[in-house]
Amino acid sequence: MATVALNWASPSTRTPLIENLVSGVDRYNPNNVGILEDYLYHQIRSQEYDCLANLAILKLYQFNPDLYNPDVVINILIKALTSSPFPDFNLCLSLLDERPVNQNADEPDPLPSLLPLLTTLYNLLQQCRFPAFWATYRSEEAEALRDNYTIECVGFENAVRDIVIRAVKAAFKRIGSARLSSYLDLSGEEMDTYVEKLGWSIDASTGVVTVPPNLDNNPQSTVVQESIQLPQLTKIITHATATA
Amino acid sequence: MTQQRTTLWEAELEEDLQDVDVNLAIGTYGQNGLYDDAQSRINEATLIAAQQQMAQAAFSQVPDVVKRFIVHFHQAVLDNNLAEITVAYESGWNRLTEKFYAKTEWPEAEVIAPLVNDDQIFLILYRELYYRHVYSRLQPDIDDRFHSYENSCELFNYLLNSDGPVALELPEQWLWDIIDEFIYQYQSFCVWRSKVKSKTDEEIVLLSEESQVWSSYSVLNVLYSLIQKSKINEHIIALQEGKSAEEITEIVGEYGARPLYRMLGYFSIIGLLRVHTLLGDFTLALKVMENVELSQKSTFMRVTACHVTTFYYVGFCYIMLRRYPDAIRTFVNILNFILRMRQYHTRSYQYDQINKTADRMYALLAMCSALSPMRVDDNISNIVKERYGEQFTKMSRGEEGLPAFEELFLYACPKFISANAPPYEEGDQLALYMEDPPIEPAQRHLSLFLSEVRAQAPVPTLRSFLKLYASLDAAKLANFLDADEEEMVQQLMIMKQTSRSVSRFDTEHDKGLLDGQMASTSDLDFVIDGNMVHIAESTLGRKYAGWFIRNTEHAQRVFDSLRNSPLPIPPKTNALASKAAPESASAAPRTGGRTVAWGGVKA
Repeated sequence: MATVALNWASPSTRTPLIENLVSGVDRYNPNNVGILEDYLYHQIRSQEYDCLANLAILKLYQFNPDLYNPDVVINILIKALTSSPFPDFNLCLSLLDERPVNQNADEPDPLPSLLPLLTTLYNLLQQCRFPAFWATYRSEEAEALRDNYTIECVGFENAVRDIVIRAVKAAFKRIGSARLSSYLDLSGEEMDTYVEKLGWSIDASTGVVTVPPNLDNNPQSTVVQESIQLPQLTKIITHATATA
Repeated sequence: MTQQRTTLWEAELEEDLQDVDVNLAIGTYGQNGLYDDAQSRINEATLIAAQQQMAQAAFSQVPDVVKRFIVHFHQAVLDNNLAEITVAYESGWNRLTEKFYAKTEWPEAEVIAPLVNDDQIFLILYRELYYRHVYSRLQPDIDDRFHSYENSCELFNYLLNSDGPVALELPEQWLWDIIDEFIYQYQSFCVWRSKVKSKTDEEIVLLSEESQVWSSYSVLNVLYSLIQKSKINEHIIALQEGKSAEEITEIVGEYGARPLYRMLGYFSIIGLLRVHTLLGDFTLALKVMENVELSQKSTFMRVTACHVTTFYYVGFCYIMLRRYPDAIRTFVNILNFILRMRQYHTRSYQYDQINKTADRMYALLAMCSALSPMRVDDNISNIVKERYGEQFTKMSRGEEGLPAFEELFLYACPKFISANAPPYEEGDQLALYMEDPPIEPAQRHLSLFLSEVRAQAPVPTLRSFLKLYASLDAAKLANFLDADEEEMVQQLMIMKQTSRSVSRFDTEHDKGLLDGQMASTSDLDFVIDGNMVHIAESTLGRKYAGWFIRNTEHAQRVFDSLRNSPLPIPPKTNALASKAAPESASAAPRTGGRTVAWGGVKA
């Protein structure tokens, strides 16, 4: 079974062409940037995600500043926002070298103005401050981000909700629906359908949502006993056979 | 003074060099090249003659013992005599450096060329050492930096673009040092290049003209070429699949079959790990390592410096991937190794370097342990406490520990570089650049790391409260913490998140360093049930195995020595035993003939 990290490092949706670029030396060829950028827009449209392929774009930008395309960078960061539990967003920022301010006044670079906002949104998600995330995301300040970028990114809001669900699933056995609703930024029927789809149940009278048991929300006090491995005893056994 | 030193040296070297006629070696030079260019214009000939004269003057300054050393060294390289090369490389060079060149350059390659019959390959190797000495002991100027780059290019060009693999053989240690130094000089150049303010006009002109010198592409190109030529990845995979020696020879081809290419290929993988880390690409750094086994049993790990470097960078990448448990395991693994090997390294010339890296890893380990508390080996955790106990305490306290994280990060992180040069070729942009210089790479990576640390800042306080209860009301807990209940519940979710991490621990190890499963990393777990927090703490049972194993082994030793002791009464057995002793002592003689120790091995 593929592990969570393998799915991240090489998602099953990656085509052989992209795999070749991600894993081979062709990733350094500036002529291939178009293929990777097309692949990014494919991810944006079809709710796929391939972090390493996107990092390969940023790598090409790092080595070839002329290729730099702010729209692509912003889209990469938006995809990376929703990739909990991996710190993809910061991994992407690591590759964004400081660049001189764009001198071209006709085509202003949107990244410098959006980057602080994106970083704030990432930190809010990291800190599980979901209601604050939605408030910021829906604010006037984020209008440019919503209207020019996230609107194109199919399923962006649901991808954020997936992060919420992951966090809630791990920490709660039961959660008040008002609280959950503020985390998911859903209410009324929308909320009910969403919860139902997850297979969770709402008690209509108390408004309490029950989260099915999973590996993380069922803590047990245990006493960890040591288990002795055969290799620890090799020396003794070898000696015993040698002297027997 | 010099006179005395020289005699001392001659005394030691005389016998070893008796079969090499230094004068003969120099004598051949006169015919060798001066009149080759018979067609050249007169002033060029004069120029050469003048240079010749200067070179001869410089040549006469070279102490005899150094001349002998170079002649012998050259001979060892010509013979592909690894033992002698190793002695000259590890001992002779360093000793002569201490004696004569502690504060100045070694003689230029052109000056000593007559000693080695103008052997271009040896001169490239000599320059490799020459520049490495400049970088480590002196201040390299722009010419040194450009020329060391040219020399590296010449060396790699010779290795990669000759007709077929070259016959040269070099000790593994030297091969590692070549790659290591190549990357160090690249990194050093990038740092130096980014400091615009200290550049003279002349330097700015040179930098704008030669933008390809030490470019990231050229460095990566060398490393990837060595990896591909040597087919080292195919080699490692074949080894892991248990292929036979013949099959492997078949797979790796004529280059990969030679130790020189094989090792350079392997070291280039580690080199990539390092370069990608320096450039801030932590995923790619671990990805290029996907075939490499991080095991001490690997035959590729014989060069200690390489071994240590590998673990340092792998561990650091795990930190930046927020995989603290994996980072901890990586560091503990290598630090244990360094502790065990310490007795063998004290005399190595790399001892200092290894110790410095180890200290930085203890600092990184302290950081990781504060972020993801884990039981580690007692020896190691004691050293962490001893060296970084104060910072560790601060870091375990959340928000107020941030300065301690910053301090240790900046001390222990790799020397990050930015991939691109300041705009030297465009005057007005350069002025802008100087006015508003970009944030230094290390500061950029620091702030990203701190943002991860800050996100989990509330955890230590929460943890200390939760530890006191089996269950309590969320509102009550919020009250204790003097916090808003909703905010506190969100903090609990952070705590849950940080107690889970992706880790390689339970995965199949042949899937590479990026592989991993979600694992629980904390002994304290909890769940929120409506408004109640239920807490469960896991404890470690007492461990007995170690105690019994140690004592069993001890009992076996006692039993053995008792059984082997002579019985006191019959004197015959006694005599036999005492006779056996000297025999066994003489049965372990020194093997092999005399080896040349330049300057003798210090006892």
